[in-house]
Amino acid sequence: MTRADAAVTLSGVSRVYGRGGAAVRAVDDVTVAFPRGGWTAVMGPSGSGKSTLLHCAAGLERVDSGQVLLGDTDLTRARDGELTALRRTRIGFVFQSFNLIGSLTAAQNVALPLRLAGRRPRGSEVRETLAAVGLADRARHRPRELSGGQQQRVAIARAMVTRPDVLFADEPTGALDSSAARVVLDLLRHMADAGQSIVMVSHDPVAAARADSVVFLRDGRVVDHLAGANAHEVADRLATWEAAR
Amino acid sequence: MMGMSRAGLAERWPLFVGAFLSVTLGVALVQSSLLLLISAATFDPPAGLSAAERMEFTDSTAAVVSMLGIVLGIATFLAGFIISSTFAFTVAQRRRDLALLRLVGAGRGQVRRLLLGEALLLGALGAAAGVPLGLVVMSAQTWMLRRMRFVPENFTGEWQDWILAVSFGTGIVLAVAGAMVAARRAARVRPLEALRETGDAARVMTVTRWLSGLIFFGGALALIIVAPHGGAAGGPAMAMNVPLPAAIAAAALSPLVVPLLGRLLPTGSGVAGVLARANLWDARRRSASVAAPLIVLIALVVGTAGAGASFTAAGIDQMRSQTHADLVVETTGPAGPAIAAVPGVASASTETSLPATFTTGHGEDAETETGTAVVVDPAAYAAAHSTGPLTALHGRTAAVGPGGDVPSHGTVKIQLPGLDLGEVPVVASVPAAMSGGDNALLPPGLVPAALLAKADTLSFVTLRPGTDQAAARAALAHLGTVSTTDEWLKADAKVRASTNDKIMLVIMGLGGLYALIGVINSIVIGAAARRREFAEARITGLTRRQVIRSALLESSAVTAAGILLGGVAAAGALLAALTSTAAVTGHGTLSIPWPLTLAICAVALLVTSATSLITSWSATRHAPITLLAARE
Ligand SMILES: Nc1ncnc2c1ncn2[C@@H]1O[C@H](COP(=O)(O)OP(=O)(O)OP(=O)(O)O)[C@@H](O)[C@H]1O
Ligand SMILES: [Mg+2]
Repeated sequence: MTRADAAVTLSGVSRVYGRGGAAVRAVDDVTVAFPRGGWTAVMGPSGSGKSTLLHCAAGLERVDSGQVLLGDTDLTRARDGELTALRRTRIGFVFQSFNLIGSLTAAQNVALPLRLAGRRPRGSEVRETLAAVGLADRARHRPRELSGGQQQRVAIARAMVTRPDVLFADEPTGALDSSAARVVLDLLRHMADAGQSIVMVSHDPVAAARADSVVFLRDGRVVDHLAGANAHEVADRLATWEAAR
Repeated sequence: MMGMSRAGLAERWPLFVGAFLSVTLGVALVQSSLLLLISAATFDPPAGLSAAERMEFTDSTAAVVSMLGIVLGIATFLAGFIISSTFAFTVAQRRRDLALLRLVGAGRGQVRRLLLGEALLLGALGAAAGVPLGLVVMSAQTWMLRRMRFVPENFTGEWQDWILAVSFGTGIVLAVAGAMVAARRAARVRPLEALRETGDAARVMTVTRWLSGLIFFGGALALIIVAPHGGAAGGPAMAMNVPLPAAIAAAALSPLVVPLLGRLLPTGSGVAGVLARANLWDARRRSASVAAPLIVLIALVVGTAGAGASFTAAGIDQMRSQTHADLVVETTGPAGPAIAAVPGVASASTETSLPATFTTGHGEDAETETGTAVVVDPAAYAAAHSTGPLTALHGRTAAVGPGGDVPSHGTVKIQLPGLDLGEVPVVASVPAAMSGGDNALLPPGLVPAALLAKADTLSFVTLRPGTDQAAARAALAHLGTVSTTDEWLKADAKVRASTNDKIMLVIMGLGGLYALIGVINSIVIGAAARRREFAEARITGLTRRQVIRSALLESSAVTAAGILLGGVAAAGALLAALTSTAAVTGHGTLSIPWPLTLAICAVALLVTSATSLITSWSATRHAPITLLAARE
């Protein structure tokens, strides 16, 4: 894959928490490219550095060495103002714990990134985005009045309303039951088929199997790749790496 | 952006109510103190007063004005401290919300503007409520001043139109200033760290905190060191000011101390104790915010009252040790010859006190002070008050009295009621008394007898050895009121102590109340953000009782820490009082107002316990699951 095909490229990225004896190499010299218009899943045992890798790739976490490119933009050199601008335009982020703002309605939550960018959101724009995640009728509800799956779909709508280059999702189905998870995964699949680049962390082989390719992480290093595998194959491979600990 | 701000206002209402309340009360207190000060300074003597009465009026007005100046100073200090720390706390409590905003694309400038806009709005709203409340506070303060006879019955606080600008300015400036530092910090930390409360976001001892802590610690230390060199007037002024910087320093450095106190919680207190200890450490910021107004309250009340009482006691001791006489006779007009004629009287220092104004300097630089001059017999005075010889005091001269405020060399223009003495050379001075007294001594013969005839006069009478005191006393009773020196000193001490108490009450009564409300405020604000935490604890298996018990333990530990740190700051003032009384009178005097100290600690403990009981009870009212269902 050439750089032009990659939505995000990490070269030699490391992130170390703590110092001296207590230092943890959460991400250790990782080089990986996430393709444009594709859906990549990141898997690995708990504590293997998946979330950290995703945060680094999205410019939310500072890296200690290496380079992160979003398209042609070097995130590692970007100042805070530039990173903020990128979050409004080119990066969307979805958390496992949905992180919606509790005092705002679903529609207000979705409109927030546009407002922050200084735009007065058109009602149709927000409505369409909510409709795309199947929540057209829940626009006026507050997060506490929504189910977990619905809250996560609002969070995805919020991340998508700015039409980002890349959607980053950290275990988006981690807090959902299997049917709510399936709705969310169908949604992501639909978006990927429409050309959206997605990078998703998951420990669920069923979720990862819906992606186009899977990257395996262990102890902060990329140890394996899989493309077009089904859930069984993904689960087997994950078990191999977990057993190798 | 503003719409979001409004939505935020609705959701986190205890935070905003707390911030609003701190502004309202602070503005009311400052406005009332300022209006009273202006009213007192421009209060005209009633028509038809004699020259002597007019001078006395001016003298007592000057005393009230300087007292109200201190009241205003303390009100401004408290308003500044409590408003800015409350706003900083509300910002810190919302760090998570702000981080979420940052994660979905809010820039640093936007976060800052949002917070400053809020502070501006709350400052203005708080001031709008503070102005009418200030009028209520003013009538309460006026009532207190009248009742304690600091001002005449017809004194009233006058409204000034410009006070509107001052009150709104105070509210807005203090609110914005308080939010500013916290807003800069909230905007600066990385959003992910703020969300997870790690890294920079979790740091409590920020550079600003360290700096302000150390700077104010240095200021307090400097006052403590310099106070003993300040003399009878400067020493008390400096010592009484120690609590302010000391309290700020203690409050700033409190996150270092408060968690340590958690270790002292009885280990037998079970799971609630374990949780309370962990929270004290983990929520140092919150603990520090609750402790801060408490520290100020204790430091100010105990430190100032203690220093004031020590200086009063030192003044009384000094007077006792310097007064050498058997009897004291109070008469109207000098009764020297009549007293001397009483059988058994060896000597008597007859002292006739007159209101006076003293002017130093010329033209533009002229400065006029109102006070009292006392006409004495220099030799008898020196003997009765152990002052050293006053042989130079005769003819057209004056000496600096125990009350000071008159230059110790050169000349001073003295004006007595209806008599201008003109420029009088100052030829001697007696040691300054801790308790003040007459400003100047005048020799006999300078003031016409007619002027003295109606003036209050004290005669300190020494009897010949072997004289029957009762007989002498009976003979003197024909001339005026007689008491033994001991009785007279005791009565005088009682009056002084009660005046000191009244002054302290005027100075700190409402201020103390404000600080106490500040404590309640910060507990309520702190609890507002804890519903989720409480719910998590209950989901984990703690009963509602255990959660409340743990919150109560935690607040008791924080209160104890606040009292301890406030006590340390107060001790600074007491130390300064000890060393400066030693410097002036030769031996250090310390008078700690234990009943007041214990009462204020009990009130603090009661108020914090009651508040955290109520807040944690109300925060745990709903089933925990309803709170945890929404993952904000
Ligand atoms: N802020 C932090 N400070 C210190 N260490 C951290 C921090 N964040 C993560 N770590 C450590 O870095 C390592 C990787 O953490 P990370 O959250 O990336 O793991 P993960 O693969 O996402 O795990 P999980 O599947 O459990 O979410 C872990 O060992 C973790 O303890
Ligand atoms: Mg993770």
